[in-house]
Amino acid sequence: MEDETEKQKQKKHSAMLERLSKRGQTRSTNPESSAESTSSFFSRFSTLKTSIESQLDQSQSFSSDPTNLKLHFQSISQSISDLEKLVAENSYLLPSYDVRTSLKTVSDLKNSLENLTNQLIPKRKFSFKNKPTKKDDKDTAIPQPKQPSQLSTLDTRLAVRESPGFRNKVGEVLVARFRGSEVGEFAVSDLDSCEVRILGSVRALFVHRLKNSRVSVGPVTGSVLIEEAEGCVFVLASHQIRIHAARKCDFYLRVRSRPIIEDCNGVRFAPYCLSYRGIEEDLRGAGLDTETGNWENVDDFRWLRAVQSPNWLVLPESERVGIVDLSNLKNGDEEI
Amino acid sequence: MGLLSIIRKIKRKEKEMRILMVGLDNSGKTTIVLKINGEDTSVISPTLGFNIKTITYQKYTLNIWDVGGQKTIRSYWRNYFEQTDGLVWVVDSSDLRRLDDCKLELDNLLKEERLSGASLLILANKQDIKGALTPEEIAKVLNLEAMDKSRHWQIVGCSAYTGEGLLEGFDWLVQDIASRIYMLD
Ligand SMILES: Nc1nc2c(ncn2[C@@H]2O[C@H](COP(=O)(O)OP(=O)(O)OP(=O)(O)O)[C@@H](O)[C@H]2O)c(=O)[nH]1
Ligand SMILES: [Mg+2]
Repeated sequence: MEDETEKQKQKKHSAMLERLSKRGQTRSTNPESSAESTSSFFSRFSTLKTSIESQLDQSQSFSSDPTNLKLHFQSISQSISDLEKLVAENSYLLPSYDVRTSLKTVSDLKNSLENLTNQLIPKRKFSFKNKPTKKDDKDTAIPQPKQPSQLSTLDTRLAVRESPGFRNKVGEVLVARFRGSEVGEFAVSDLDSCEVRILGSVRALFVHRLKNSRVSVGPVTGSVLIEEAEGCVFVLASHQIRIHAARKCDFYLRVRSRPIIEDCNGVRFAPYCLSYRGIEEDLRGAGLDTETGNWENVDDFRWLRAVQSPNWLVLPESERVGIVDLSNLKNGDEEI
Repeated sequence: MGLLSIIRKIKRKEKEMRILMVGLDNSGKTTIVLKINGEDTSVISPTLGFNIKTITYQKYTLNIWDVGGQKTIRSYWRNYFEQTDGLVWVVDSSDLRRLDDCKLELDNLLKEERLSGASLLILANKQDIKGALTPEEIAKVLNLEAMDKSRHWQIVGCSAYTGEGLLEGFDWLVQDIASRIYMLD
């Protein structure tokens, strides 16, 4: 019985995936050049926007007729949703700056609508949720979803579990080797004036509160998340890199996607430059053996404008460190 | 006829469901959506605004809104609340340090009047990572048992990496929404 449903599920799943991947193909063979579709996007966008704005302007004239006013607002709301959908559908082709400004427009229109609604339609005393009738018709026809019952029997101690990592050190050299072993997440936090070297790959790397330290790591097959760093140098290869609240740090990166910064300043970027015996193999294993050039495609979430963000820059070649070679590590370093 | 019933009627005809995916940055939302859609997940950048995917799932059309979770853009989430049938909250089960943040943001979301009728699926993602918390542990940390009794919710462990658990989660969500919205069919 159990088996049967499991099989059915599997079958359903693979059928779905197949169907969906076919859909994807037909879509991607669509011979539309992106420049063409960008300009047609903008003309459709501005037509829709203008029509919504004029609809909003007309709202006052309905103010004495609540039924029609509601319908009017409903239709505006629908148009805004359509506009939003248009942006969303084009968000893959559009430059990120245009996505942002279009989103801002949508959001402003929504706010105007919300304000007008509050202004022209008096608020009800009771929220919909409190109406007993709704509950009733729900209860009669629908089986309640099963609550995960095993939760109640779970013991109350949720140990403050920690991931493997280096924590709370000052002025030390910290070395970890993960070559050939299966490692999950690794955390590096609360270090001052340390040198961290991680050889081999991990799936996820979390970095938190580092000062005046150097961190060099082999390929990360998932993502790196860095929060609060000051005066540090990072040498990292990863599928994704997110940097939050870093000041005066240098990053030598190889990334498959665009690195992002948020609440940073004085951060500089250069290409990856790590070396140790076997790194080529590790990089290949992680799908990071080719330079993507993404180390300089930094997106600053705090900077909405099309011009270069003042928070980061490309590290001038003359100031780069050259190759960081970890091949000849001395014994006696702290290792795990 | 009230606004809500009009919307319901339109949706019922088209068998459409609007699903909103949110969660902290780095939790795996975009990877999950692309995986479900059978697309390549090897190069994904952090989401600057949002993406939308229309997926046919069983006999329904799911409009999945995948919204970026970086701190700067969390304030935009509220723009997507309207008409949401299903809410998917994605958790990075290996990010132990930010679970407090995760709980805080989820609690805020659940206070939203406009989301009060939405079914809630919590995906405890990245189960493939050694050291990740189990769905039971995540449920405990997020204190899900204390949730408003009228909310339909479910937590499922999954991995966007292997695909495990995704189908189970979405099956529950779609069935739950269908039983509320389309029960008259
Ligand atoms: N090991 C593992 N890694 C995962 C899994 N799901 C996602 N990741 C990785 O986690 C990182 C973040 O994934 P995204 O899908 O970009 O996360 P997101 O939630 O969309 O992030 P924002 O767009 O910033 O909100 C990527 O490097 C993924 O490869 C998983 O199940 N297992
Ligand atoms: Mg994303």
